[in-house]
Amino acid sequence: MPQPTLLKRAIAELIGTFVLVFLGTGSVVTSVVFFGGVDSAGLLLIGLSFGFAVMIMIYAFGHISGTHINPAVSIALWATGRFPSKDLVAYVAAQLIGAVAASLVIVAIVGTRAVDAGLGHTMPGDGVSYWQAIAIEAVTTFFLVLVIWGAAVDKRAAGGFAGLAIGLVVAADIIVTGPIAGASMNPARTFGPLLTETFWGTTSGWEKFPIYIIGPIVGGLIAAFAYDYVSGIKSAGDKDES
Amino acid sequence: MQCYVCAQSGKETEALGICIVCGMGLCKDHAIREDVDLWEGGYPFPSKKAKKKLPRILCAECAEVLT
Repeated sequence: MPQPTLLKRAIAELIGTFVLVFLGTGSVVTSVVFFGGVDSAGLLLIGLSFGFAVMIMIYAFGHISGTHINPAVSIALWATGRFPSKDLVAYVAAQLIGAVAASLVIVAIVGTRAVDAGLGHTMPGDGVSYWQAIAIEAVTTFFLVLVIWGAAVDKRAAGGFAGLAIGLVVAADIIVTGPIAGASMNPARTFGPLLTETFWGTTSGWEKFPIYIIGPIVGGLIAAFAYDYVSGIKSAGDKDES
Repeated sequence: MQCYVCAQSGKETEALGICIVCGMGLCKDHAIREDVDLWEGGYPFPSKKAKKKLPRILCAECAEVLT
């Protein structure tokens, strides 16, 4: 059984991102549509939904595609020489398609009420500036990528716990910073609901989209290079596939 | 150590290996050598088959169950 082809790995990324966005943003939609809004308890459940989704897909597809399910993670792996350039475009495209597909399926199931509820899109909270939102996205993605590097990329890490650790850091990031700027940490996770809302005539979120591109990518890159420096693992990576 | 299979039929043959599963001593005629694929990588990288395989010695009964 050889390594899966790029097509198969891209399909795994698509499915993984689909599950993440369906369960994650789906938890926001159901909170708003069926429970009337998101309070602090709802925020806890939303954080856990995202965290569980990331965790289960890491265990399901981690050995097949690597379960990046996040362009910021793929770019951080690529920038540190651990992920080939020829695979990067396919992975990011698959992640974006998977995210859009998940939002479309949510609308198909819940109806336009899901669009009215915002489809779980990410937006800065009241009183949060553009740059503050970029900063909080960078900080939360820094935590996420730092844990990915420490729990999975570094081969000295205890085996089998990466999915749990990464799921928990995603949940913690969302629970703490969700009200500030949505705690996306993932351009694909924001892109899916945004594009789907656009299909139904809501285009107001696009001016905020750069927040969720710049913040996660910058935070992810800082974390990747910081971990490589602090840990002493080579840029090429002890667990490099090449 | 004697070969367990030969010993059952009353022969005394020196064992050259041990079944990795059940621990049975095996002579050259009764030892089955198999190469096991090794996978390297894994999250956050795709796994791929290693170039080298891991050899193992099995008795006939264990080989039948495992293959």
